[in-house]
Amino acid sequence: MAIKKKILIVEDERNICNFLTAVLKANNYDVIVSHTGAEAYHMITSHCPDVVLLDLGLPDIDGLSILSAVREWTQLPIVVISARAQERDKVEALDRGADDYITKPFGTSELLARIRTAIRHTYTCALDENVAQTGIFKAGDLTIDYDKHRVFIKGEDARLTQNEFKIIALLGKYAGKVLTYDYILKELWGPSARGNNQILRVNMANIRRKIEENPAEPKYIFTEVGVGYRMTQGE
Amino acid sequence: MRLNKLKNKFPTSGRNTFSSILILCAAIFICNLLRPVSDNDMYAILVFILAVMIISLRTEGYFYGIAGSVLAVICVNYIFTYPYMAFNFTITGYPLTFFTMLTVSLIISTMATSIKKQERMRVEIEKEAIRANLLRAISHDLRTPLTSIVGATGAILENYDSLPPETKRELLGEVREDAQWLIRMVENILSITRIGSNPSQANLVKRPEAVEEILGEILGKFKKQFPETAVSVKVPEELLMVPMDAMLIEQVIMNIMENAVIHGVTTTKILVSVCRQDMEAVFKICDNGQGIAPDMLPRLFHGESSSLYEPQKAELKRSMGIGLSVCNSIIKAHGGKLTAKNNTDSSGATFCFTLPITE
Repeated sequence: MAIKKKILIVEDERNICNFLTAVLKANNYDVIVSHTGAEAYHMITSHCPDVVLLDLGLPDIDGLSILSAVREWTQLPIVVISARAQERDKVEALDRGADDYITKPFGTSELLARIRTAIRHTYTCALDENVAQTGIFKAGDLTIDYDKHRVFIKGEDARLTQNEFKIIALLGKYAGKVLTYDYILKELWGPSARGNNQILRVNMANIRRKIEENPAEPKYIFTEVGVGYRMTQGE
Repeated sequence: MRLNKLKNKFPTSGRNTFSSILILCAAIFICNLLRPVSDNDMYAILVFILAVMIISLRTEGYFYGIAGSVLAVICVNYIFTYPYMAFNFTITGYPLTFFTMLTVSLIISTMATSIKKQERMRVEIEKEAIRANLLRAISHDLRTPLTSIVGATGAILENYDSLPPETKRELLGEVREDAQWLIRMVENILSITRIGSNPSQANLVKRPEAVEEILGEILGKFKKQFPETAVSVKVPEELLMVPMDAMLIEQVIMNIMENAVIHGVTTTKILVSVCRQDMEAVFKICDNGQGIAPDMLPRLFHGESSSLYEPQKAELKRSMGIGLSVCNSIIKAHGGKLTAKNNTDSSGATFCFTLPITE
C-alpha cells in the first residue's frame, strides 16, 4: 500500500476544516488540523507534513508571517487559502514563497488539483521530471524545446522573440503554478524592472497571438488578473 | 485662539470668499448701470438684498450671508446714497432705512442657508431610503435560498436512513445551487459597499488592464459553472488596454452572462465581443435565449428585486434586478454606460457597455 501524503490544514473556521478533512480523507490523504497559527508552526516542525493548506486570516498570528517563518528553513509546499477581499495578500503570499493560492469560495476539484500540483513540484525540484530528462515541455499542441530555444505549435515554429521565449520558458518550468508579475519581471529584466508590468502585458499579448488560437480563450497560458500568469499542466 | 474657534464655527474657504466678492461686485456694477436712469436710491437696497440672498445660496454656512449683509449695508450707504462716496448714517430716515436693510438681509440670508440645509437633508433621507429598500430586497432574496438550504439539509439529517439515495443526492444538489447563488449575491453586496452610495465619488482602483486577459479569466470561471453553454469571444487584433477595476468589471460581465443563462432560459450560445470605438472600449454580450420581457426593459437597472414586484415569478427571476443594478452602478462609476435590448434579427438579448479608454 502506498504511503499516504500528509496534509496540514491551518484554518480557524471549524466547518471549513471539517469539509476539507472529509474531502481530503476521501481522496487518500492523511489530514492533521490546526486552528491557530502558533499551533500550526509547531505542527509543521514536529509532523513534517507533505503539504500545508494555510488560511491567511488566523485569530492569533498573521498567516503571512507564518509563511515567512516556515520559508526560512523549508521548501515544503504551502497552498494559501484567501478570501476575495485580500487581493493584495495573494500577491504578497506568492512573493513570500507560497506555492499557490486558492480563493474562497472554491470547489473541491480545484483544491485537489492545486494540492497535486504543489506536491509534484517538490518531488521534481521545480522542473518537471520529463522536462528535465528530455529538455522538452509538452502540453496539447504546444512544445517548448529548452535545448533549441524554440517553441513549436502543432510542430511549427511559433517564431517567438528572445524575451517572449524567456517568458514562456519560465512559465513552462513552473507549469501549473502561478507566477506573479513581479517574479517574472525580476527573472527576466532584473530587480529594477519590478512594478512595471505593462511591458510584460505587451509581450504576453504577442505570445498569445503566436501560440493561442484565440488570445481571449487561452489554452496554454492563463491570466490570474491582478496577480500573474499560470502555464497549463504539462503532459 | 478665539478667532480660530470662530473660524471653525463659520467654515471659510477661498472659493466661498471669491464668489461672495464677485456677487457683491456684480451688485455694484448693476447699481452703477441703474444709477443714471433712476432718481432715487431705493433700487440699490433691493439689488443688494438680492445679492445677499444669492451669496447665502452659493456659499457654505452662515458666515458669508452675514458678512455679505453687513458689506451690502456699507456699500449702499457709501456709494449709492447721498452723500455719495462717504459714510453717513445720521441723515433723517437713514438709521431706520439701513437698520431695516440689515435686518431683512440677515433674515433672508439665514433663511436661504437653512433651506439649503433642509434640501441636503432631504437628499440624504432619500438616499437612505434607497439603501434601505435595497437592503430589504436583498434580505428578502437571501431568505429564500437560506430557507431551502436549512430545509433540505434538515430533511437529509433527520431522515438519513429512510430517504432513498437519489432523493438525498437531489436535495444536496439543490443545496449547492442555492449556496452558489448566495455566493454571487454576496459578491454583489460587496461590490455595492465598494462603490458606495455615490457612484461619482466611488473609490475604484482603476488600473490599465488587457481586455483579452480579463475575458480569458472570466471565460475560465464561466465554463466551470455552466459547462453546457457555448461561449465564443472576440477581441481586437491589437492589444486593448482599458483602465478599470478588474474585479468589478469581471463581475459585471459575469453577472450579465449568468443572467443570459438563467433568465434567458433557452440560451445555448453567448457571444462576448469587445471593440474599440474612438476613445471608448465597447463590450457586447449577446445571447440566443428568449430575450427580456418588454415590460421589464425600462426598469431593468433600477435595483428593485424582481421578487418584490413579481412574487409569482420570484423563484425564476430572483436576483436579476439587484445584479443588474449593481452592474449599472459599476459601469457608471467607471464613466461608461450600460444598455440592454432584445435582438431584432434573432432571438435573445444583447447587453452593451462602454468604458472610456483614457482617464
